[in-house]
This record gives sequence, structure tokens and C-alpha cells, in this order.
Amino acid sequence: MKKKVFFVMLIVLLTLSTNAFAAGSSETKMEKVTLTMGSWRADDVDAMNNLLEAYSLVAPNVEIEFKPTNPADYNATLRLQLESGTGPDLMYARSYAPGIELYQAGYFENCSDIEGLSNFTKSNKAPWMAPDGNMFAVPFAAVSHGVYYNKDFFMKAGIDIPTTWEDFLMACKKLQDMGITPLANGLADEWDILETFFLGALPNYIGGANQRVKYETGEMKLNDEKFIKAFTAMRDVAKYCPKGFESVTYNDSQALFATAKAAMFIDGSWSVGTYDGVGFDWGIFAIPAPKGNNTAICFHPDMAITMNTTTEHPEEAKAFLSWLCTVEGATTASKYLPAGFFPMINAPIAIELPQANEFLALNEGKETDARFVWPVLLALYSPMDQAVIKVMKGEITPTQAANDLQKAYENLDL
Amino acid sequence: MKLNKQNKHLSVEPSGWYWLLYIIPALLIYIIFMAYPLLDSLRLSFYTGSNSSNREFIGFLNFKKLFTDETLSVRYKGAFSHTIIFFLINMVFQNGLGILFAVIITTRTMKAKSFYQTVIFIPTTFAVLVTGYLWKLLLNPIWAGDTLSKIGLGFLARPWLGTKSTALVVVSLISCWQWMGIPTMMFIAALKNIPKDCLEVASIEGATAWQTFTKIKVPLIKPVIGMVTILTFVNNFNAFDIIFATETVNGAPNYATDLLGTFFYRIGIAGEHPIAIADPGLGAAVATITFIVLLLGVIPMLRYTSGDN
Repeated sequence: MKKKVFFVMLIVLLTLSTNAFAAGSSETKMEKVTLTMGSWRADDVDAMNNLLEAYSLVAPNVEIEFKPTNPADYNATLRLQLESGTGPDLMYARSYAPGIELYQAGYFENCSDIEGLSNFTKSNKAPWMAPDGNMFAVPFAAVSHGVYYNKDFFMKAGIDIPTTWEDFLMACKKLQDMGITPLANGLADEWDILETFFLGALPNYIGGANQRVKYETGEMKLNDEKFIKAFTAMRDVAKYCPKGFESVTYNDSQALFATAKAAMFIDGSWSVGTYDGVGFDWGIFAIPAPKGNNTAICFHPDMAITMNTTTEHPEEAKAFLSWLCTVEGATTASKYLPAGFFPMINAPIAIELPQANEFLALNEGKETDARFVWPVLLALYSPMDQAVIKVMKGEITPTQAANDLQKAYENLDL
Repeated sequence: MKLNKQNKHLSVEPSGWYWLLYIIPALLIYIIFMAYPLLDSLRLSFYTGSNSSNREFIGFLNFKKLFTDETLSVRYKGAFSHTIIFFLINMVFQNGLGILFAVIITTRTMKAKSFYQTVIFIPTTFAVLVTGYLWKLLLNPIWAGDTLSKIGLGFLARPWLGTKSTALVVVSLISCWQWMGIPTMMFIAALKNIPKDCLEVASIEGATAWQTFTKIKVPLIKPVIGMVTILTFVNNFNAFDIIFATETVNGAPNYATDLLGTFFYRIGIAGEHPIAIADPGLGAAVATITFIVLLLGVIPMLRYTSGDN
């Protein structure tokens, strides 16, 4: 009998103690918070994982999982997730209208009270500012646009970096006469010719943001001399694109440049890492302005990060956003960000890859602006794209293209 | 006595609703996965708004917009006419060649039948993305141009898929190339079913090959021709993948290869780049009209071909 009591006591003690241990361990587990982050940068998984790992040194109890979607499906996927209540805690936010729409639908948190936002200039904040004046995301990275060139070809042809559009065309002619395809750009994918080439060059013809606004309000017309001149430039450059450029895709263009089958490629800064380790020396220069105009740069605010209004861990999510807005956070972020994405914070940050630095240096002393249609006239994207393609194919004249564009503007209900 | 009673019970006719039990499982699956989504998408076509929180009823406005909105109606009419051209080219070349190959392969004197059968059928087993990618390279002068000029066919090195006048025809032919194997197989099966004595009598009577084909073979495989026509019609009016693989969802160049499928995807599912805010209601309106067109097309085809049996 005594034995039995002892035995029962022992069991009771054992269960009590294991319970106590279990409770202890689960308590430490409770502190660990896991957040998910949605993104359209499926190419950046490694880079972002390194960045998020670096953040875990700052906040050891927070683990952030990077869960990107295919770029083209991001908006649709994110919307479905948010609508069904399965959205990520943190997510990339598109600039201007697409981002504003999700903020107004109540999915993006109001980030205005994050202190570090004062580290950003007004123009860098504008893309993620809702009409009510609130910030719906914190700026993360911008992209630039320019001309990638093969230094070996330039040396062989005895060409210097062209500083005017006229010189640029001369250089193209010289290369073509030597049997080298001057430009790798093509039309098949349609987005690249507009976003990297035409919109990349447009500030050279119309100027920076203060001029862009005049076209948005209708004070200046989209078929004025400046636009006709920009379209004329596209017409003139078409003959220096590869033979059959009508069916050359963006990937084809990259391959042409990387295999030294074309001397130049007008592309975005996000490709700067792509040509690491090609067998020739290459560099970057700004798309040159025509004689008499100042060369300006299309420096486009691209990515921002925001948090879900319905996240279960608002404090931890907000802490991460605040960290991104500190100089320390932005420096760490830019260290891990893929080459060609530039931090937007108002502080000098060194970038490792020389060509990426070259890209950022293009901004110095020059006016910069976002891609022309993004801030207000995004509905003109397709009409402008089609106009550029038709001009380059010789189906319409630059004047007709500009007139088509102005007509499309007049049909908008702004 | 007892036995009798039991027998009597067994021979009782099942009550009137008995049969319903047997079709309930299939009916449930059909309702949940086919009928309900279909009806719901019809309902959706009367609404506007990009998400469930701002959705509102607008009656027939989506349909009106499709036909009257200045830019939208141009795109929609373009997509509609391209789809018809796409269907016709597939109908003529894919099925025409299918019947031709089937007749050749089923000829009694034909050698290596299964070899040809396999060769013709292989492309249908490729993923459309792969086919699209391969043809994109083959038809691209910067990749195939050198090889073509080496064999004296340099004039063929043209941007076929990037030229407005040729893109749609070329994409349709790629689709024909890929799917030709299916009608060929169906026609071969049908032709093999034709009684041998029919053909023997014809040859004894001195009928030419053409007469045998038009007077005996075609009438006897008419139901199969009807089925193939319906399949081609339905599949091509819903075509999307081949355009996606070769010409982007915009139906490049300059919307020359924009089909109803790509138009619907841009409007209703993904939204147009770069805004990418879809309008599911408007998309549902496009889908509803396509559904009605298919219905109106398929019913007479079915009646025509099955009525002869």
C-alpha cells in the first residue's frame, strides 16, 4: 500500500515537473514572431534573405520570411490575398495609382507617423503619398536608366562617349559602317522600348518634374515641338537597332549585348548585375540630350515597403519599417539590395559594384524625374507605347505620333 | 406463400423518383464546379469595381462599355475579328491537313504508318510554352538568320512575329502545327471504321481516289468531322496560351494578335500593365458574350452532325 502511494506521488510529481518544463519552453517560443513579406522581386530571394538575416541581428525575436510572386502576377495575387484576409504582414507597395488604390481600399497601413520618414526628400516620398497627404509606405529603392556600352567596340571604332544625341547617332553610324550592330534594343516585348528608352530619354527633351507637371495639367500639349523632337529621335535611331528588331524581345536584347553582338543597349539599372563576368569591358553613360538641351536622368522611384492593416504583429512590422528609414537601416539594405537598385534616403551611401556607382553618379549635377507617365498620366502608357513602336517601324510620322498622344490625353477623364 | 410475397415485392416497379438518386453525385459535382461558377460569372458581369469592397450593380453598362467606349470597343472588335481569323485558319489548315494525312496514312499501300502517325502526333505532347519559345527563336532573324542565309534561304529571315501583317497568320499556323495530330488521330480512327467491302466495291467499279474520298469516305466520317469542328471552334475561341507564349498578353505587335482570350485576361484578371488593376465585372461581360457566341455556334453544329445518324 505504501509503495502504491509513493508510486502515485511519483507520477504526479513527474507530470507536474514536465508540465512546468513545457510551460517554460513554450514561453520562450512565444517571444519569437514570424512575419511574412510579399514582393514582386522573385529574382531577389537570396539578396532579400541576406538583408532580412541582417535585420535579425537588430531584432533577434523577429523572423521575416520573404515570399515573392512572379512580377507580372504580383498585383493580382496580392489583391486576392488581401481580400481573402491571407495577405502578408509586410509587402512591397507600387508607386502612385496602383499603390494608392490599395491604401484607399484599407489594406495598406498609414505609415505617416514613422519618424525616419523625415530622412527622405519630398520628391522621393511623393510616389507613396496618398491624396489625403498620408504616406502609405516607406520608400525603399529607385531605379535609373541609361546606355550600357561595350568599351572594346568603342575603342576599336575610336569613339568617345557621346555627349549629345547628334553625336550618339554619329557613333551608331560609325559602328554600323564597321559591321557592328550599334544598339541591342527591340520591340517584341513592348514594355522595354517605352520604359527604358523613350521614357528614359524624355527628360532630355521636356525637362524635369516642374515641366512634367505642365503636361499633366494641360498647360502644355503633348504634341508640342519637344514631344515631336523626342519621337523624331526614336524614328532616327530605329535603323541602328538589330536586323529584325521588330521581333527582338527584352531577353534577346540582353543576350545580344552580353555576347558582344551589339555595342550598346539602353536599359534600366536593374540589369547592372546581369553583365557581371561577361568577357569584355563595359560601362554606362547617360542617354544624351540633343544639342542645346541639358541631359537629364529618368530616376524612377520603384519600390516601397508597407504593412498590412490586419497584421497580428503591428508593432514588430512597424519596427522593421522604422529601421528601414534610419541611415543605419538604409545602409544595410543597400549593401544587400541587388545591384542597380538605389537607396532613396537622403544620405551619402557607398555602393560596391563600380558600374552601379557609375549609374548613380549619372545623377550628379543633372535634373532627375520619375518616368513621365507614372505620377498622373499612367493611362497614357499604352497609347504612348504604341506610338513609339509605330514610329520606330515607320508606320506613322513623329508628328502623327505626337498628335495621337495628345488626342489620347484629351480623351482621359482627369 | 412467403416466397411468393417476396417475389411480388421484388417485381414492384421502382417509384418515380428512384432514378434521381443515381445521378445526384454527378449532378452535385456538375453544379458546384460547372453550373454555379458559370452562373456566378454571368451575375458578375452586371457589377463593377476592382474588389469585393467596392463592387456595385450597374446593369448592362459593362456590355455597353465594351461596344461603345472609344478605346475599349476598338480593342474588343479587334480581338473578336482576330479570334475569328485564328479559328478559320485553324479550321482550314489544322483540320484540312489532318484529313489529308489521315487519308494518306490509312491507304492500304502505305508503308511505315505508325512512324508517320507518331511524328504527326508528337507536337501535341509539347507544352505550349515550349512550342512558343522554340518557334519564337526559329522565326527570329537575329538567331535563325545566319543559318537560313547559309542554306540560301536568307529571304526567310524576317521578323514574322513582329510584323503586323504576318503575326496573326504565323501564330495561327504555329497553333495548327502543334495540334494537327489530334484531328489526324480522330480521322484515322474514323476512316479505319469504314467497312472494307464498301471500298472494295468502289475500286472494282473503277472509282477514282477522289471519288472514293468525296462519295464514300467523307459522308461516312461526317459525325467525326462535326466533332472536330466543334472542338476546334470551342478551343480556338478560348485560345490564350499560344499568344501568351509567343506575343505577350498584349497581343503584340500593336494588338495585331490580340484574341478574346488575351483581351479577357488583360481586362478581367491581370489588369493592363503597368496599372494592373483588373475589372472582373467587365471581364465577366467579355466571358459572357464569348459563352453566348460558343453556345449559338455549337448547338446548330451538334444538331447538324448528330441528326444524320
